[in-house]
Amino acid sequence: MTSRYLGRRLLQAVITIAGIVLLNFVLFRMMPGSPERVLMRNPNMTQAAMAAQRARWGLDEPLFPNQLVAYVSSTLQGDLGASFKYRGQPVTEVIGGRVGPTLVLFGLGELIAIFVGLILGAYSGWRRGGPVDYVGNGVSLILYSMPYFLLGMILLVIFATSLGWFPTTGMQTLGANFASPLEQALDFLRHLILPLAAVSLGLIGQYSILMRSSVIETRAEDYIQTARAKGLRGSRILRAHAVPNALLPTVSLIGINLGFIVAGAITVEVVFNWPGLGTLTQEALAARDYPVLQGVFLILAICVVLANFLADIVYGFLDPRVRT
Amino acid sequence: MTAGPVVSTPRPAPSSRTARQVARGRSFAHRFVRRPEGLLGLVIIVFFAVLAIAPEVFVGPLETATTASGDRLEPPSLAHPLGTDNLGRDVLNLTVHGARISMMIGLLATLVTVLVGVLLGIVAGFVGGRTDTILMRITDFFLVLPTFVLAIILAPIVLELVGGGSEILGIRTTLIVIVVVIGLTSWATTARIIRSQTLSVKERAFVDRARVIGAGGWHTMRVHILPNVTGLIVANAVLVFAGAILTETTLAFIGLGDPFAPSWGQLLGAAQEAGAPGLGVWWWYVPPGACIVLVVLAFTLMGGALDDILNPKARGRR
Repeated sequence: MTSRYLGRRLLQAVITIAGIVLLNFVLFRMMPGSPERVLMRNPNMTQAAMAAQRARWGLDEPLFPNQLVAYVSSTLQGDLGASFKYRGQPVTEVIGGRVGPTLVLFGLGELIAIFVGLILGAYSGWRRGGPVDYVGNGVSLILYSMPYFLLGMILLVIFATSLGWFPTTGMQTLGANFASPLEQALDFLRHLILPLAAVSLGLIGQYSILMRSSVIETRAEDYIQTARAKGLRGSRILRAHAVPNALLPTVSLIGINLGFIVAGAITVEVVFNWPGLGTLTQEALAARDYPVLQGVFLILAICVVLANFLADIVYGFLDPRVRT
Repeated sequence: MTAGPVVSTPRPAPSSRTARQVARGRSFAHRFVRRPEGLLGLVIIVFFAVLAIAPEVFVGPLETATTASGDRLEPPSLAHPLGTDNLGRDVLNLTVHGARISMMIGLLATLVTVLVGVLLGIVAGFVGGRTDTILMRITDFFLVLPTFVLAIILAPIVLELVGGGSEILGIRTTLIVIVVVIGLTSWATTARIIRSQTLSVKERAFVDRARVIGAGGWHTMRVHILPNVTGLIVANAVLVFAGAILTETTLAFIGLGDPFAPSWGQLLGAAQEAGAPGLGVWWWYVPPGACIVLVVLAFTLMGGALDDILNPKARGRR
């Protein structure tokens, strides 16, 4: 991979993040009246805190360039303002406490979904019309058509409310005294399984559909014909010739879809009351806690941009043709 | 000097256009009907469209907290085939009226999305050069952005700006805001697709001929480019519709719906908030949930079938 390719992708990512920060600035100023009026609506805001906010946002100064500069520099320093709902607690702290659970849920969900979804999609596409394809594609289409939270609600009703196998809410049994760290970890796992299943099932639908159509397209390529003519076994053609090529469009599509997927999937947290960014978003929305909402947007947007950057690099490794 | 015989009139299709189009249309309908999944999708959509057009005919006017016809959380019975919610409203009534609201928001949001996407896509592809570069940079920005989270912030801000509750052309402003927010945050894919098709149409001979006899840019885009990307627009719009319904559902679920005009997502959100899944009140959330899955599935199937027919490269992919 040439450094030019890397540099260009990096520049693109940086410009996109700059655009997101700018958008956040505009959004805050778009609010009815002045941002000040929104701040004043907050009953927990003291006079001193208000003055500090005014100074921080530079509200007595002209919008451009002073306010913009003030906003950008404080954002760069990791200062995202104060939450309305949480008694003026800094947004970074509010969000920071919620990142971990979301990261666990989505990190694991993505891993499972990429693994299972890509294998299922590759096999369905390779054996198009076969029983695995028939069932797999049907199930994938239904999962794809289902909002993530609905999937969560269904799992919750079946496995928690009716069968009672798993707890219905939260990340840990409240008020429980654990004899050992192991017991605590097991309790956490029991809480994790259902939301994790909802997230991964939803993502598996997406990824297997992508991979399936990609493999079907690859199947028609000449080099597959050549491999067959050489007398290679079907499974070897699939593994060594079809899958690596079919992965290419899938990798970039996964990157592009990520923004939408992550945002939709955070609603799973609401169903299970999982204390991550999704529930935080819903709470902030209900309280119209704009600083927190914007903070969540900023964090998620930056994550998605970085993930896309990563997808570009992976693509570069997989496909020498784009490394220019 | 008038144009010589060499330069023919710059029509995208010759004068036997109507006959040819009818023939093409017939074979198109033929191919579409022969795809079972596309036909299934169409049947489901028509069913819900009928419900959406005249919900009153089937279940009477929308029930509110004051006109609720049953007790709280009644299980399904003859009087209430799908039971009642926590306000005593008939769930069948709510679900059928939800069809109107969900489908209407989906349709309008699709129109906004396709309008913005097609306009930007055609202009970028046709004009090219710096315009193309700038427009596509913006498109890429929106493509990468988690637009759904943007919609979550944008919707309440715009709502505070215009004020909810009132009505424009008989549609509640809350719903219009949702429509505009979905439209403004999801046009990027459409713009990309239309642009690449425009790039290929632009190179065809009839566009050159139009330019030679002095047709203006807007004229060429409208008369020569647009008709040649229409098929693609339709196939894309069907998929956009599915996405719009999912987005609306999710927005309503996390609390951005209009309680006075409940969509399916709003019903699910209300059920979740009242703890319906924990109470075992399945009749409250299963009907709207099933409707959403059916409609999105139907649009996805139809979009796949259309894509197969209109895009020769993709034929036989499904």
